Order: sequence, then structure tokens, then C-alpha cells
Amino acid sequence: SSSSFQKHEFFVDMTCEGCSNAVTRVLNKLGGVQFDINLPNKKVCIESEHSIDTLLETLKKTGKTTNYLGEK
Amino acid sequence: MEAKSIVISVEGMTCNSCVQTIEQHVGKLNGIHDIKVSLEGKNAVIIYDPKVQTPESLQEIIDDMGFDATPANSNPEP
Repeated sequence: SSSSFQKHEFFVDMTCEGCSNAVTRVLNKLGGVQFDINLPNKKVCIESEHSIDTLLETLKKTGKTTNYLGEK
Repeated sequence: MEAKSIVISVEGMTCNSCVQTIEQHVGKLNGIHDIKVSLEGKNAVIIYDPKVQTPESLQEIIDDMGFDATPANSNPEP
């Protein structure tokens, strides 16, 4: 069977590759996540077992403005 | 109030937004008197209170933000 986890979309105020690399690093540190980063649209789509709060808190570690956009 | 200075190498910054993010985020924390981040120098110069922060804690804060942080002046070249 394919994945049973819901995909969540987040806004992260990224402006360059350094920003998206930082997001990649904090998400990999958390672990248990599959994600796509859309730098031009400043969006991060995450498929994970973690709660939305955990994901949001992790993304906020980068120090960038972060919002939850909804399920995808 | 005590103050110490440290230079931390920061890899992974590519634009001024990265610089500002680190300066704003770290600058807000307890025990940080001042922080200057250089994009060209790939480092952060931090003036901090050694009773509140340590070189290790400062390094970890920047590392947690998603950048590769290593102490720059703890092992001076001979």
C-alpha cells in the first residue's frame, strides 16, 4: 500500500538556496519526513507521521516566517 | 555584566536574507549582547555573556537553524 500519511503544505519565507538548504537540514534532523521544497513559491510540502505543531516548530527553527497553509 | 567574543564559521549562507535571519534570531536570545554575520567571511562574530551561553551552545543554535556551524578561533593556526 502507498503512504498513509497526510500531506501538509507550509509557507516558509525563503529567498535563496541557502534558505531552502536550511529548511532541508532542519527537516532531515527531525527525521521521519518526506518533503518537497518549492523555492519560487516559498512553499514546503511535507508528508510525515509528525503532528502539524511539530512540523511548524521545526520549520520555525530556521528563524524564518512560517505558516501552515493546509492539507494537500 | 560579563562579555566574551567568539567567531563561528557558518557554511551554507548564500544571500543577505540568510545573514539577517541569523542576526535577528540569535540576537534575540538570552545572553547575546551583539552579533555580526558576514556573508563574505562566512562567519558570525558574537559578543555574549559567558554565564548564559557557551561556545558550544552558540554553535548549536546556529546549527539548529540549518547552517553548518564550527568554531573558527578555538584552534588557532600555529
